[in-house]
This record gives sequence, structure tokens and C-alpha cells, in this order.
Amino acid sequence: MYRYDEFDAAFVAGRGAQFADQVNRRLSGELSEDQFRPLRLMNGLYLQLHAYMLRIAVPYGTLSSRQLRKLAHIARTYDRGYGHFTTRQNIQFNWPKLKDVPAILAELASVEMHSIQTSGNCIRNTTTDQFAGAAADEIIDPRPVAEIIRQWSSLHPEFTYLPRKFKIAMTGSPNDRAAIRFHDIGLQAAVNAAGETGWEVWVGGGLGRTPMIGKLINSFVPNEHLLAYLESIMRVYNRYGRRDNKYKARIKILVHEEGLETIKGQVEAEFAEIRGGILTLPSEEVDRITTYFAPPAFTDQAGSKVDVAYQSIIDPAYGRWLDNNLNAHREPGYASVTISLKPVGGAPGDATDVQMDVVADLAERYSFDELRVTHEQNLVLPHVAVADLRTVYDALVAAGLADGNAGMITDIICCPGLDFCALANARSIPIAQEITHKFAAPERQAEIGDLKIKISGCINACGHHHVGHIGILGVEKKGGELYQITLGGDASEQASVGKIIGPGFEADAVPDAIEKLVDTYIAKRHSVDETFIQAYRRLGEAPFKEALYGTA
Amino acid sequence: MEQPKQVQVPAGHDKLRALGILALNGMFDEMDAVGVLRQAAADVLPGDLAVVSSFGADSAVLLHLVAQVDPSLPVYFLETGKHFQETLDYVETLKQHLGLLNVHAIHPNQADLARFDPAGTLWETDPDSCCHIRKTEPLEPITELYGGWVTGRKRFQTRERGVLPHFELTSDDRIKVNPLAYFHDSDVNQYKIDHGLPEHPLFAKGYKSIGCAPCTSVVAEGEDPRAGRWRGLDKKECGIHFDFNGAIASPMMAAKRHTLWKDGTFIADPFHDWTDESEPATARYQHVPLPVFLAHREAFLANPHPLGLLVAPGESVEDVADDLERFSSIAIKFPGFADGRGYSTARLVSQRYQYANEIRAVGDVLQDQIPLMRRCGFNALVVTHEPTRAALIENRLPEVAIFYQPVGTAEVPIGTRPFLRRAS
Ligand code: SF4
Ligand code: SF4
Repeated sequence: MYRYDEFDAAFVAGRGAQFADQVNRRLSGELSEDQFRPLRLMNGLYLQLHAYMLRIAVPYGTLSSRQLRKLAHIARTYDRGYGHFTTRQNIQFNWPKLKDVPAILAELASVEMHSIQTSGNCIRNTTTDQFAGAAADEIIDPRPVAEIIRQWSSLHPEFTYLPRKFKIAMTGSPNDRAAIRFHDIGLQAAVNAAGETGWEVWVGGGLGRTPMIGKLINSFVPNEHLLAYLESIMRVYNRYGRRDNKYKARIKILVHEEGLETIKGQVEAEFAEIRGGILTLPSEEVDRITTYFAPPAFTDQAGSKVDVAYQSIIDPAYGRWLDNNLNAHREPGYASVTISLKPVGGAPGDATDVQMDVVADLAERYSFDELRVTHEQNLVLPHVAVADLRTVYDALVAAGLADGNAGMITDIICCPGLDFCALANARSIPIAQEITHKFAAPERQAEIGDLKIKISGCINACGHHHVGHIGILGVEKKGGELYQITLGGDASEQASVGKIIGPGFEADAVPDAIEKLVDTYIAKRHSVDETFIQAYRRLGEAPFKEALYGTA
Repeated sequence: MEQPKQVQVPAGHDKLRALGILALNGMFDEMDAVGVLRQAAADVLPGDLAVVSSFGADSAVLLHLVAQVDPSLPVYFLETGKHFQETLDYVETLKQHLGLLNVHAIHPNQADLARFDPAGTLWETDPDSCCHIRKTEPLEPITELYGGWVTGRKRFQTRERGVLPHFELTSDDRIKVNPLAYFHDSDVNQYKIDHGLPEHPLFAKGYKSIGCAPCTSVVAEGEDPRAGRWRGLDKKECGIHFDFNGAIASPMMAAKRHTLWKDGTFIADPFHDWTDESEPATARYQHVPLPVFLAHREAFLANPHPLGLLVAPGESVEDVADDLERFSSIAIKFPGFADGRGYSTARLVSQRYQYANEIRAVGDVLQDQIPLMRRCGFNALVVTHEPTRAALIENRLPEVAIFYQPVGTAEVPIGTRPFLRRAS
């Protein structure tokens, strides 16, 4: 895992002091809210419906046990005993007091964390595959480059007042678990004919009110020129991105309106100017950063196996957990464990201080002190020896964290919605809770298999509803809340944006509607091996539409 | 050159502080000029009074008064190195004619000249700094030597001087004596005629207020006599009329507040805004909007005067890349602090095009953005926001002084990481 050196520590401390000064000037009234807003946003501090919300960066989703314990401590001391993990692999606290924020930032700095650029019109935290460095299907571990991007983009003086926020996601494996085609820039590891590693660069993807799938702008940028290439894109965007309309300010609109070829021409012209210059990454540097992410000292576990079928018979809950919550590890005898933050009836992504402490202990003891936050709002213990699985599971059961529903219908991505968010049109957490109740039975979930439901409380799409196999969007209709359902979205390498299937539903009708969709799928699928999304692609929307609205 | 008096006189004529000055002005208000000067030299500041004179068009009157009261009163002349030869000749003429015994030339520090004005053209780009090194700095040690100074300033000369009294107290407790405060233009001419005083050789040629050669031009009939000084610049006063701390001697003298922050201080801005009346062929010290420049490029390139360029967001600095060197200043506009396009413009100008003169930020320039601006290449700021001004003056910008990414070639430490960290 990356460790701060003196420079990083001084940087974060300097930033903390700077923001403490700004907070004091706000408290004293020297700064108006208008002037303070972009400054606090740059430090991840939002003004929400009820209170300030502080969003803390978890760079590329990686945490140590010490860091998670600190987050638990902050939840306990400055908040109401819980934190909320977001779809950007960050964590946010919903109830801090403005005057406490400098103290919280100082606490974070003591464990090499910060909230820099978790909001505001700047380059946000780079997200990546939660199984980076562990997954069996990985070409390159993306984290060293993600760390380099983190450093390059931190308080970049030219790109701090962009037209709009800017998100970069990267994946080192062909199976995209980081939704890179739905980011402003998506980077996919690639190897060219000469055997060099580099990056496929996708640009202009995004969700929000105008969902767009990213477009391939360059099929191979060598590692050493990646920063120069990114800077070229950023400069073109900073100069030409629209600033007249906040809803048209993302780079996806620029690419859409100007056309990929125009933007590509501008980016390549800029790249030609700066390529080979000061931003060139020497390979020794990449190597040096890479050593921080060296694989931990795995022991020979090749002999240890777990018989899932057998376990499923003697302990069905454990069997389900093994079935759904493990990801294949590149090291024999190890697995990556997903800890579901999606209990039936719970608020997706929330974890209490006590739960965070438990997970931190498990990470320290059984996962080489490493943890990941997923963009699906779960936690991951990336390197657990198969022999330890039962012990880990038992500890999770005691903490109420052992739901074996990763990737299942109840593993819902959901934004905070009207319960917290000032922009919301509708509640989203209660909808998620109702749906999980409806499908609570594990047998039912197993029957349904892989199905991703994603819920947003408004068109800003923080809950990624556009890329849910089933998406749910809260809209306002005549003063009430109404929910639109979309089908067919997919955030993976087979990216697609879901389509609205018909008129919206009242809140209490949503779970039934979902059930009808699910029943239709089960009735029409070829076999249990055909997933919901595959079936939808084959069948089209007609049978689902009919199930919801009857024949026309 | 030997100075007449080397003993340091402690400043602080307590009896003459504020109220006292008022009383003195009351006493002398009706008095004639020679009476004011005689009282100052004999009673108020005996042995502690000196004169500074520009030996300009009107200087003969004051020097004539001095000769009458005490020809051995020390008279200092700022030999800026930029005077007309006629002025230097005139110094000798008056010395002879009036029998002045104690005239001293003060020269600028040679090292300062070599450092700040090697080409002798500083007056053109930054007249305030030029006056500073050629006048204010050389005069300062001399001012320490006296408790009071006689000046030739007159109320009518510029609007700011409308309320000039006979006696003023400077902020460092020195007294300024202005015997000619109440003289009008016509009084000066009449006095010269009455006393048969020799005329400055340039007076007849239309120069009414004469300073350094480059900064003096002919005044039209009926125009304010001082209109010829720093013509085209928003500069009315020379450093030496300010008090010896650089602040304004008289609290009643309104001076325009400087908004240009450069090299660690607010200075007078030689530039002013482009207007509808501005002419491409004759404009000077104005920032020409980029589209205007492109529309009249030939005329601007033929224009011999110093000019700046104004680049607004959305305008493409690439279009003028070949002409950047023509400008002595490039102003980059921030219509709102959240509009970050100016940062890219500044990096292109300073780094890609290697433009080395002034790059100034104008518009919504606030303290929290200034550190970013500097890193992108800005070396001057026009600041009106009050807390930001205070923060600049008190040198407390909210800055993270260490950087992760290289944005300028000057920031590159060899052998460190590629995304080049630097601590300032
Ligand atoms: S999708 Fe809308 S309601 Fe939900 S968190 Fe985002 S802005 Fe708020
Ligand atoms: S008057 Fe002009 S030349 Fe003389 S010192 Fe001032 S700026 Fe320089």
C-alpha cells in the first residue's frame, strides 16, 4: 500500500492548515458563503439538507486497518456513530459541525488521509477496480498509476476551476469492475504489439441527466506519456468546455457537441506540444511507486480448499456467502472477500463505528492489513487465506456484516436521496429497503442470480441508475414522488445505458413492479445460466413492458 | 560631494505636532511667501531647514525667496540622470544669478541603476519604480538630516493639491514648508517679471512644468501646466512630493489608491483601460482587447508606444503568439473567480510562448486563488477586494507551499519524481 513520505505528509498538513484558516474566516464572516463554497467544496465539505457533509477520499478505494479505525473514531466522536461509503469509493459523514472540520482533517492527516478534491470543479479521486492487485484476471495492477495520477492532480493550479467536476476511473483487467466507460476519462490497461504496457483512453462518459458512454480517444498511450496525455485532455476541456450552463459543462457534452474527431484533434495537437516534456514518467519512477504496491508475503496455501457444495448443505448461509462474496485471487489458496454493506432493510453503504472497527481488525489479522472500498458501496478484504474464511465469516456474522448477497438483487447501489441530499427529488434509501425486504429470502435471491439494481434520488444519478440492470430514478411529479424504471443498463465492458420502460410508479408500488420484472425474467430465461441482463438483451423490452403495464 | 551637515537631527518637534501645525498655518496664512520662509528658517527650524528644488520652469521663484532669506540655506537638486541638458545648465545659471551658496546635487545609487534600470528605460515600463530609484531613494538619507523642508508646491498645480497649507507635518515628524502654496500661475509669472528672474530655457518652447526629459512633454495653451508630466499615465505626483515614508504628507491630499500588486507591493499602474475613443495608432499604456488587436494589427504594430494586451476567457492566445513580444504587459481576465480558463492562458503565455514581461490577472482576483495564479505564471495582480489586499500586504496567503506537479520549467528539480514535487 502506498505510504506517505515526508513530502506527502507536509502537503496534507499544509492543506489542512489552509482550510482551517478558511473555515475560521467563514466563521468570522470575512468570507461570504459564496466565496467559501468553492473552497469548502475543494475540501469535500458540502452543505446538505440538515447539516454539513464531509466527504473523505479513499484513494483508489484502498485503506489500511489503521485508517479504517480512524474513520470509526471520527464517526463516533464527530458524527452520529456511522459513515456512508459512496459509489466513488469514498466515505462521507453526514453530521459534522463546521467548527470541528479542521480537527477532523487533522485526525485524518495523522493516518495519511484527506478530503482534498472530493468535490468541487476539479479532478476528483481516481477510482479503480476493488480487486486491483488481487484479481486473477488482471493484466496490470492499476494502483501505482492511480497513485501517480492522484499526485499529479492534487491541487493542480491549472485545473482547479474547471467547468465542472472531473472523474477518472481505471481498470487493469479486461473485466471492467470500475465502470470506466461512465467516467470523464476511463483508462483500461493495454499491451501493444511491442509488448509494452500502456492505456486505452476513453473520454466523455458519464451518467447524470445526460448519460453517455465514453468514446475511445486513443487506443494506446504508453505509460510514460500518460500524464502528458491526461494534461492535454484537461487543457482542452478547461479552455473549451461549456461554462454557460452547469448541466452542459461536463466533458461528455463537449465531446458530444464538438464531435470526437474535433476533440481528438485538439488533444493530439496539445499532446504533440507537451509530449516528451516535463511530465514524462521515467520507468524507474513507476517502478519505485510500484514497490509500494508489491504483493504481500503470501504463504503457500495451495493445499487449502473449501468445499462450497458441502458447506452449503451443512450451513446454507455460509455456503451462500462463499458462493457470492468471494472473488478469484491470483494467488492459489487465497480469495478476495466482499463484505456486504447491504443488509436487508439497511441503508446501502452505511457502516457503524463498531462495524468499522471489526472490519479493521479482520483486515489486520487476515488480509495483510489491507482493505478496499468498492464503487458498489461494499468493503473488500482483498487477500484472505482460504483456511481463514470460516473465522472471518464468523466474526462478520457477529458484527451483522455477513450477508452473502454480493452481486445479488439485494446488493443495491443507492444514493442518499431526499433523506440527506439537498438536490433530491425523492427518497431513495427507503425504496432500497423495501426492495430488500421483498427479496429477503436467500433462496429467492439465489434463484434470481446476478441482477444489479441501482437507485438515484434525482437526475444527478449518484446511484448510477442508468447502468443498473434495473434502474430506479426518483422524479418529482405534481408535488409527489414518482419513480421511473429503466432496464438494460450495464456498467461493465459491455457498457450500455438503461432505457425508460414506461410511466413512473408511486413509492409503494415500486417493489411490486420490480417483482413483476423479475418474474418475467425467470419465466422467460433459457436456463438458470442466462442472467437477467442477457435475457433482456435477447428478449427486448416488450415482455417486461407488458408485465408492468399490460398489453397495449 | 560634501554634504553641508552630517549630524543626525532627531526628528520630532513635539511642539509642532498636529495642533501646532494648525496654529502655524493660522499665523502665517495671510503672510507673504518671504515672511513664511523667513519665520521657518529663523524661528521654527533654525539651522534645521533645507530646500529641495527641481530647477524647473517655476523654481526660480522659490530660490529667489531663499536667496533673500538666507543664501546659505542648503538647496538640493535631484540629479536623476534623466534631466534635459537645459535643466542642468539652468542650475548653474540660477546659482550664479541668485548667489546661492549651498546647492548640492543628489545622484541615484549606481548599483541600483545597474540592477533595475540597466537600459535606462524603466521610466517607460514602470515610472513609479524609476522615480523611486532616481528620486525617493537618493533623497531619503538626506531627509534624515533635517527637521524641515521647503518645497515649491502650489495649490493650483493639480487637483490633489487644492488644499495645500503653508506648513505640513509629515508622518515622521518633519515639517514641510510650502511658502508658495497660495501662489497662482499668474502670481508666479508676475513674480518672475517683477524680479527679472532668468527663465528656464525650455519654458519658451512650451514646457510649463519641467521634470525629467522622458517624462515631460509640451503643454498646450490653456492646459493644466502639469499636464505635460507623465502624459498618458495615471501618474500625477512624483515620489518626492510624498512624505518621506512614502505616505502622503498631507492627510487632506487625496491620492488615488494603487491596485496593481507587483513585486511584493502595490504600485501605481501605468496602464489604463481601453476605451471606445482609443486609437490603434496612437494609444499608449492601454491593454488592447485581443479581438481589437487582431482587427487593427498593422496599426498596432506600427504604434511606437508601450501597449498591453487583454485576453478574455474564450479568446485564443494562439492567434497572437507571434506578436506577444510587442506588448509590455498581458492582462488575463477572470470574469469570476470560478472561471479557470485564465490559468490555461497564463501557462501558454508564460511557458509555451516564453513571454517574460508582465502577466497580470485582472477581474475577480481573490486571495485563495492567488497562489494558483502565481504558479501558472502570473507576476502581477490587479486587486480591489479589500480582504485580499490586506492578505497580500500582510503576506498571509492561504497557500499550500509544496507542489506535486510541475507546471513551469522553473519548478523542476532534477532527479526527483516525475510528477515533480517541489517545496517552495
Ligand atoms: S442522485 Fe440526486 S438525490 Fe441522489 S445523492 Fe445525487 S444529487 Fe442527491
Ligand atoms: S520623472 Fe521619469 S525619468 Fe525621472 S525619475 Fe521619474 S520616471 Fe524616471
